[in-house]
Amino acid sequence: MTALTLQRSQHGRSAATDEHEPDAGQFLTFQLGNETFAIDILCIREILEYEYLTEVPLMPDFIRGVMNLRGAVVPVIDLALRFHRPRTELGRRSCVVIIEVHDEDEDRLQLIGILVDAVNEVLAINSADIEAAPQFGSKLRTDFIAGMARLDQRFIVLLNVPRVLSIEEITLLSRLDEGGDSIAAGGCDDGIE
Amino acid sequence: MNLDQAMQAFFDEAFELLQQMEAILLDAESTQSDPELLNALFRTIHTIKGSAGLFALDDIVGFTHQVENVLDRLRGGELALTETLTSLLLRCHDHVKAMLQALASHGTAPDATLGHALLAELAGLSGQAGAATPGEPSAEATAAAAHQDWLLYLGFGPDVLRHGLDPASFLSYLATLGHIEQVIPLYSGLNAVSDYDPEQNYLQLALRFAGHCDLATLHDVFEFAREDSHILIAPLADAARQLADAGGALPEAELQQARQSWLALGMMEGGKVAHAADQGMAAKIETVAGTPPPGTGDPAASPVAASKKVKANERAGESRFLRVEAEKLDNLINLIGELVIAGAAGNLLAQQTGSTALQEWNQGVSGLIEQIRTGALSMRMVQVGEIFNRFPRVVRDVSKELGKEIELKISGADAELDKTMVEKLGDPLMHIVRNAMDHGIEGTELRRLRGKPAQGTVRLNAYHESGSIVIEISDDGGGLNREKILKKAIDRSLIAPDAQLADQEIYALIFEPGFSTADQITNISGRGVGMDVVRRSIEALRGIISIDSELEVGTVFRIRLPLTLAIIDGFMVQAGDAIFIVPLESIVECVELPEEQSGNNSCDHLNLRNELLPLLRLATFFELPHPTPPRQNVVILQLGDRKAGLVVDRLLGEFQTVIKPLGSMFRSLKPIGGSTILGNGQVALILDVNELVTHVINRDAVKYSLAADQAHLGSAQAKPQHMRQ
Repeated sequence: MTALTLQRSQHGRSAATDEHEPDAGQFLTFQLGNETFAIDILCIREILEYEYLTEVPLMPDFIRGVMNLRGAVVPVIDLALRFHRPRTELGRRSCVVIIEVHDEDEDRLQLIGILVDAVNEVLAINSADIEAAPQFGSKLRTDFIAGMARLDQRFIVLLNVPRVLSIEEITLLSRLDEGGDSIAAGGCDDGIE
Repeated sequence: MNLDQAMQAFFDEAFELLQQMEAILLDAESTQSDPELLNALFRTIHTIKGSAGLFALDDIVGFTHQVENVLDRLRGGELALTETLTSLLLRCHDHVKAMLQALASHGTAPDATLGHALLAELAGLSGQAGAATPGEPSAEATAAAAHQDWLLYLGFGPDVLRHGLDPASFLSYLATLGHIEQVIPLYSGLNAVSDYDPEQNYLQLALRFAGHCDLATLHDVFEFAREDSHILIAPLADAARQLADAGGALPEAELQQARQSWLALGMMEGGKVAHAADQGMAAKIETVAGTPPPGTGDPAASPVAASKKVKANERAGESRFLRVEAEKLDNLINLIGELVIAGAAGNLLAQQTGSTALQEWNQGVSGLIEQIRTGALSMRMVQVGEIFNRFPRVVRDVSKELGKEIELKISGADAELDKTMVEKLGDPLMHIVRNAMDHGIEGTELRRLRGKPAQGTVRLNAYHESGSIVIEISDDGGGLNREKILKKAIDRSLIAPDAQLADQEIYALIFEPGFSTADQITNISGRGVGMDVVRRSIEALRGIISIDSELEVGTVFRIRLPLTLAIIDGFMVQAGDAIFIVPLESIVECVELPEEQSGNNSCDHLNLRNELLPLLRLATFFELPHPTPPRQNVVILQLGDRKAGLVVDRLLGEFQTVIKPLGSMFRSLKPIGGSTILGNGQVALILDVNELVTHVINRDAVKYSLAADQAHLGSAQAKPQHMRQ
């Protein structure tokens, strides 16, 4: 809970400095299957059309592969698989959102791509419109949720990017996966829920 | 060996360490609670002290030794890092820095009394008043000798120039200690012009010098030249007698030459000196030149001429080498990698258009790109000899200090290594070599008793092995004492008293922080810092260090560093739809897989000219979807002393591979060493064949073990979870 308030105040501050509405953050909304999620635009580097990925063997399913981002090799994660939903199928609107994550291990910025079905729009969301994560019901690990944003009578999930794309955790999962069965990875997730 | 270069490396390293020390001290609040940082703090000073000892920089060693003692107690938890202590340590840091800077620019050393004041303060704070500075201030006091006149004869040998020593630099350094009153050049060796060899030195100097220094200080000035030159130094009053004493040390002709020139400089044949005249002259000199007594004031206060020289020296040092931030070079090489890829794409397009002119132009560009690439890469690659070269002197000095006879044998010094790795390897190698000499090689007596030659041997060897470089440091000393290490580890509760460990695991215990089996702490080693730094540095380079040892026979440290070089020669293979790169160095040959073995179910080995070759099916191993093609190929890999066959679907040929790191997310994926970008922009993965095979061996060891058999038999009721472990 304390982490959440901290997060919120950060959003507020950053938005106040460069944008019109005080106490508002800007979020990119995107589709995963028929669900809509949002992430803070401050951690987004760019959005790319889906192009060829190279699969990396012996890694968990949700790591779809690596791509060439102007010479840098960037891992791409299927968020739907990460959230235990069906695998994202490629379509005309498939996109890769490139996100900056801080890598604690090497103390530098690491780029990670997330594969989504479509990106929608960038919204300014008032911090007053952000609710705490519900204890259950969102079919998602609660620590993945930074908050729920109220938007036209419905709620969309604001993702806690550092948690969702925690390199430490992904590395741990891929190590478990080394035994050759992805049940282990799934089991770990369930354990945390 | 070029000592100037070694000195420069020492300064660079020392300044870097000082920076680290400062950073840790400035972050004192977290340091207090973090033993890791306190360890690091201690190591900075420890390393500076160690390296300074090699160059006989006694002032620095003396000072840092005291600081190190305090830091050691700090690390041991005996002292707390209070604010006063932090600021005092920072001032000590500044003092060491000032001393080093003075040395680096041949300037005047900072005030020694400042050092003593700092040490006294340290002693006071750490509660060991007096004990910390035994006798040193008084020794210094006598060292600050009275103003005196000296006669010097510098018989530089014919080879000094070839050894990179410049007689003029000795003089300019001497000038910082006092005043050179008169110089007589001697060049009796120079006869006919036709015999003149420009690389040979014909010049000897005799000079009269006045200054506040003692004999040892003056001898130190010519420390480097001592080996192949005849240096005579004597106080003016005593010159005749000392010259007579030195008679046997140098050839008659040279002695004669020295005597004549010294007579010309004011030596009295009978041993009497015209005292009044001499002192009057000294006084006059002092008023004219205003020579400051050494040890006071900063470089700015020295005579204008000297400071000019200092500046010139600094400038010369700057122009010889260009220090470039490693990141800039990395970026450049990345860009060049891109350029290679873009160039290949351009070639492809040109061929498609069919325009001859365009194709020719493209060829030209490709040639240039190739040259740029080679040039950029060579900037990074240096021979491992660059680090090996500092060891002959280390071994010589340390063996003298220890009173042991030790010979150093170097092989494989031409193996090339990434520059960044070479820089970071120096420290760990130094620690290992010093340890080998101090703890490894036994005393002469003991060696005789054990039936070994009296002279111990330390060997440095480097070689490339399947895409990695291996550096071996071996000695023929006493070996590691398994029992002693075990006992110490149990005493320090690093392991449980009843733990069962393999030899390798026991040896690895010496890499634990603060672990030392030496009974005494010496200047060289024994504080137990070395080895944990060693392992940390090697691991930082993603290397592996292992130890083989046999009691009373010797010890081998083996450092294996992985391929982290920016570009390698690769060989492209295809398995399923995926393209992989195999480092070309590890490939012996390629053969076609006999048709009867192409099925997945047939046995996994091949008869290669009557040699048993285990096969690794890449597509199956990586669980790639793949319809078995009619013809498969086997890439035969050399892994150390064994071979293995890698079954792939297609061979695609050689490829210059620009290595891109995969990032920490894939760190656990050992069989993949990195990635690269192909000409069409796709990413291909680079196989780390050593890890790949190790991985398969481990997997098979689990799959086909007794436990697995048991699980299989009882699988009807057994939990599947069980089998996995």
